[in-house]
Amino acid sequence: MTDDRLDPRRVHHAMVAMLFDPEYATRVRGDAAVAELSERERTLLRGVDARALATDPYRRARAVTVLLEEYPVTAAVLGIAAFERFFATEAFRGVVFGRGSMALAFGGWIGERAHGVGRLEAAVAHVRRSIDDAPRADQASLRCPPRMRALVVSAGTLAYHGRVRHLLGTDPAATLARANARRAERPPQRGAEYLIVERRDDGSIDVGTGSEPLVRLLAFAQHPRSREALAEDAVRHGATPDETGELLDDLITQDLLVRC
Amino acid sequence: MSAVQLASMPAFAQRLRTLPRLGIGVSTEYGARKAKGVLDPGALRREHPELAQFLEVGVEVERGLDDDARAWAKDGAPTTYHFLDVNLDEPEDFDARWLDRVREIAAILRPAWMCGDAGLWHFGNRDRGQMLLLPPILERESIAPMAAGIVRLREATGLEVLPENPPGAAFVGRMHLLEFFAAVAEQADTGLLLDCAHLAMFQRARGHAMLDGFDDAPWDRVVELHVAGGSVHDVQGYAFVEDDHGPEVLADTWTIFEAAIGRASNLRAVVVECERNPIDVVLPIFSRVARTWGPA
Repeated sequence: MTDDRLDPRRVHHAMVAMLFDPEYATRVRGDAAVAELSERERTLLRGVDARALATDPYRRARAVTVLLEEYPVTAAVLGIAAFERFFATEAFRGVVFGRGSMALAFGGWIGERAHGVGRLEAAVAHVRRSIDDAPRADQASLRCPPRMRALVVSAGTLAYHGRVRHLLGTDPAATLARANARRAERPPQRGAEYLIVERRDDGSIDVGTGSEPLVRLLAFAQHPRSREALAEDAVRHGATPDETGELLDDLITQDLLVRC
Repeated sequence: MSAVQLASMPAFAQRLRTLPRLGIGVSTEYGARKAKGVLDPGALRREHPELAQFLEVGVEVERGLDDDARAWAKDGAPTTYHFLDVNLDEPEDFDARWLDRVREIAAILRPAWMCGDAGLWHFGNRDRGQMLLLPPILERESIAPMAAGIVRLREATGLEVLPENPPGAAFVGRMHLLEFFAAVAEQADTGLLLDCAHLAMFQRARGHAMLDGFDDAPWDRVVELHVAGGSVHDVQGYAFVEDDHGPEVLADTWTIFEAAIGRASNLRAVVVECERNPIDVVLPIFSRVARTWGPA
């Protein structure tokens, strides 16, 4: 990066990362390369009194609380310390520098760490924020609508999630702070369960089970696919070639697939 | 900004003539009155109409308006719309959904103008847990994007948009805050909202005297002033002011306010930001503001 270049937005973003992550602040102040910043930008940031970055001791705790509201069972599985670590990751800086969503990036970063419950809560976070575009009849590609996510998790994940969520009560953060430990019951890790997460028109979110072929097809259709590709996927999951046309038409009629 | 737009928009000096003198107002935000005993702006207006001549409504579009703001607007009393959720220098922030909601809320409030801190209101996209407020980067490169955002919002709403100097414990960049906002105002051809408490924070953080930079500030563009309480804190020997809108207005803030009143020749409004305090506790602030500003 050119040393005299200055992008105010990038400086702002770096400042945010420094506020949330003391390690990043130390890197910016140090001599090692920080690829995203020019030397002029770093010089400006080095001019900030390090103590001024610590004037709001609850900044990260508030952000953790927000994540915890969306990922309560994940917190029970991993512990709150894991949530704290998120703010020192490239995933978090990707949110800051890339105009992302913290809750969605957190779900991506969690990945399989919390097994199915992390992926289930990430799916809920996704559909909560989804904005459905009007179907485009002129387009050949099809996809599962953004308000819906299909996922394959370990058998018993939905019930486990319900049990733990109930135990956490109305204030999961307080419950977890009191417990000060991970839950003893480990999340399911065997077998398979086929879930569909859907945001209703009133904003409520339903989580239910579906058949394996349907869930796998909808998961495949999370990204736009051609009709032919979807038909091939349906055959892989048990449909006969003769019935794929009618099957896809039915899914379109039920708004489980939309043109995009 | 295109040449056509420049040609079609009267200069600020002309537009200024249409801005009413609102007098002394009080601020509110969504849910500000949830805590027990805090002031009811409607009651303040009934009991002290000369001290609550308008309501400055802090608006985060995602939350909308609370009952107090709606009731005030329903009475037809004057308001201003203080945004709490737009990074003026980010074109992506002016998405159609947000602008539609801004226009809907403005249609309810019928504000005399819009205003708000010209800083970083959120990181990433506009999502839960991503709100904060950082002052602008005080370098020349920040001026044009900020000015463009002000013009964009003004054109999208048909309302005057007054950028406000934000608070901060740390300020990045080499320009003086007043020099920076003078340049922004000139480029956007707009008025200014000077927050006296926020300016005191800047002067303190930079080791300036409270009135440093005053001689070069564009006082004829200052349309609104803010006065608010604050408290001094310390982190590892670093003293900073918490902009808590509490009942104690720091002496530095009064120094700036009293000096600004004497210079702001086109002043239309002064807001006392004290939304989470009992009325009787903050009445002395309003009274001092009224004494200092004097009658219309």
